[in-house]
Amino acid sequence: MLFNTIPFFVFFAAVLVLFYAAPRSWRRVILLVASYYFYLSWNYKFVVLLLGLTVVDFGAAIAIERAPVGRKKLFLLVSLAANLGMLGFFKYYNFFADNLAQLLRYPPNSWAYSIILPLGISFHTFQSISYVVDVYRGEQVAIRNPIDYALFISFFPQLVAGPIVRAREFFSDLNAWKHPSSEEVLRGVMLIVLGLTKKMAFADQFAQIADSYFQNLSAHPGGFAAWSGVFAFAMQIFFDFSGYTDMAIGMALLLGFHFPVNFRRPYLAFSMTDFWHRWHMSLSRWLRDYLYIPLGGNRHGRLMTYRNLMLTMLLGGLWHGASWNFVIWGGYHGGLLSLERMMGRREFEKRPPIWLYPLRAVITFGLVCLGWVFFRAATFADSRYVVSQLFHSGRQMEALIPKWLMYMTGASLVIALIEEKFEWTERLSRGPAWAYAAFMIILLLTIEMIGVTEKALPFVYFQF
Amino acid sequence: MPARGLWVASLNDHKVTFSCPVRALFTLILTICGFWAVEFAIFHTGAYFTILRHDSSTGAVETHVHNELGRARHSLRQVLTIGDSRMGFLPRYANEMRQDTGYEYASIALGGATPRDWYYMLRGADPDANRYSAIVIAMEDYDDTETIEDYSVRAADLYYVIGRLKYSDIPEFARSFHDPELQWAAVRGIVLKGLIYKRDFQDFLLHPQERLDLAKLAHKDSYLWYYNYVGPNQSLEGVVVDFNNRTVTVPAGFSEAQKAAYRARFLDPRPPEKGVHSAFLHQWLGKIYEHYRGSKTRLVFLHLPRGPFIRPDQPPLNAHSSVRELGQQPGVILMPEHIFDSIERPGLFLDQMHMNGPGCAEFSRILAREVSHALDAF
Repeated sequence: MLFNTIPFFVFFAAVLVLFYAAPRSWRRVILLVASYYFYLSWNYKFVVLLLGLTVVDFGAAIAIERAPVGRKKLFLLVSLAANLGMLGFFKYYNFFADNLAQLLRYPPNSWAYSIILPLGISFHTFQSISYVVDVYRGEQVAIRNPIDYALFISFFPQLVAGPIVRAREFFSDLNAWKHPSSEEVLRGVMLIVLGLTKKMAFADQFAQIADSYFQNLSAHPGGFAAWSGVFAFAMQIFFDFSGYTDMAIGMALLLGFHFPVNFRRPYLAFSMTDFWHRWHMSLSRWLRDYLYIPLGGNRHGRLMTYRNLMLTMLLGGLWHGASWNFVIWGGYHGGLLSLERMMGRREFEKRPPIWLYPLRAVITFGLVCLGWVFFRAATFADSRYVVSQLFHSGRQMEALIPKWLMYMTGASLVIALIEEKFEWTERLSRGPAWAYAAFMIILLLTIEMIGVTEKALPFVYFQF
Repeated sequence: MPARGLWVASLNDHKVTFSCPVRALFTLILTICGFWAVEFAIFHTGAYFTILRHDSSTGAVETHVHNELGRARHSLRQVLTIGDSRMGFLPRYANEMRQDTGYEYASIALGGATPRDWYYMLRGADPDANRYSAIVIAMEDYDDTETIEDYSVRAADLYYVIGRLKYSDIPEFARSFHDPELQWAAVRGIVLKGLIYKRDFQDFLLHPQERLDLAKLAHKDSYLWYYNYVGPNQSLEGVVVDFNNRTVTVPAGFSEAQKAAYRARFLDPRPPEKGVHSAFLHQWLGKIYEHYRGSKTRLVFLHLPRGPFIRPDQPPLNAHSSVRELGQQPGVILMPEHIFDSIERPGLFLDQMHMNGPGCAEFSRILAREVSHALDAF
């Protein structure tokens, strides 16, 4: 059930009706059943895995809390081993087996298995790890109600692609649940429609262009086509992922839960440091709290800081997918972040003067686009080819993106700039009804007239 | 502003609050009504026609219907013809004989249009069923012979007549597709017409000014573009179909694709009879008949020329075909089946199905003469 399909909206409407019609004490069960039904609709086989990890982490957290200081670590390691073991097997086994086979000069795929990646495993394992680590650190009490914990892990709006929610955020909403206010209902509905617009009218349109470029590179030679293809993918992945996140946040709001913001206009960033403060913020926060800081963060001198940044970003890259291209993408971002640190951290965290901002934002966007080449290309050889084409000054001027889509992208850039300054979409749900309705009508007409409605394209991050 | 509960109920000692924030509800209802109003204003009032591309499938239907509604009339005795691309009727030739026939002819025949489309086009051109002395409907045959394409699952029909469809057409139009996906697409398309117009709109966005200019020109002149069309002069002269040896011979200049098309049309076996096309014709010709039942307008069916070569395996007579059954109803005329036999020659055909310019001219003159006689004699 994709978020951008009618069956999903029927499912969500049914959940809303049941949730609000039922007595409060039943609501957690309703959400849990709905979440497992949602997961089962993808692949019933992996529900055992989800359930198994839930049982292990639920038990490990209680054991950590009860155990004497010296033995807490043992239960933490059990939980980490279970989560990372499953993640490692399902996501990385073939990658490492293949590389090992090549290293030992065995034929490729000598030890490969046909493994299907369980949906959302990267997200729910990270969420589980953060919970168990928080309990170990004493920052979170172990949850005693298995239904509550199972719901935290499987809550359907964010189960398959985040945002990665911290336990204390989720349980504070669950335990002190309040009816969503008028503003929250309006904001929730608006985010769902905004997310659908981003996905169907922008991401899916750009997806067709990016796919046509990256799936047949030799058919589109020259720098202009290469920049068009890479730009299309940059737009696709942003609108796709932030659209999904908007919908997830909106649906959670309608159910009375508050998810953290995951994107804050990342392509308006003026440095790579700023970009990572705006892009996939819940993952950045997770990597910072559970990887970068435990590695030492910036507490042990410059070199160690660069090493920690590099390691964090390499692992962040690998988290996205089992291929050297993702490792290179992570390394590229780690390298750029380290470089900015070397040149002076404040310089890249502080907003530049208005006259310098456009140049800095364009440079940052260009650097981000360069990174997307490794993220999108199927192989390293393809990435190298695309990068070479980006700096190729051929005569070909093949523009892959239709003008109207560029105009729409321009309009969305203007909206983002206004939003950056005034945060007016935040205010819309509190403002006059006509203003809210007018904005929503524009979004709905955009979906109707521009959206790809012939087929429901899956979200990019579902593959991670 | 705090949430206000509309009503509160208790269930099993649990206090259950069905809180429905009034402001949110009002704003969401306003949004839905506003969206519906804008959608309606753009797509259900004909406003979008001002930018619609005239040569798209939707645009062609709308242009024909609008042209017909706005056409200057020089006689009270009007005859409107309808059909698909095989209907090579050119009104200019028929109207040159107006002094003799006493009727003024017009056509809204359109390539690719099916009887389902004809019904909605006729309803648009003649909503009160009182503008014409007769409606001439061109049929491939009178026997409901099965077609290769199953019209009941022809998605293109939704695109052809989307501009003609109203909310009240949803049940009948959607049910006429024998495929649940198409039925759903039809319901969705009529409710949200923008989903059907979107390709045209995206094309408009590519070159908005050029489109506006073209649309303006088409509104002004397209009637004459169609009226003055005389058709191409190429013919099938020299093409030989040997039914005994099952061979097709073409002179120099003809392509292999053309040869294959002739083979398919004249030598390949006919699709087996399943009654699917007959059911389709019964439904939609029946709808046309219902539209005109009780009016002064006559329905005239005519059998189109069969082609440049006549297959020896002609379909058997079907006494219960849609046309023959309708022919027994009052106000319906079936023209004799062989009045166009003289046109069934390679020299008067452009390809295996369609008449060329001289063929269309000859066909139009015969049609005007024979139909006028039949109407006068009725």
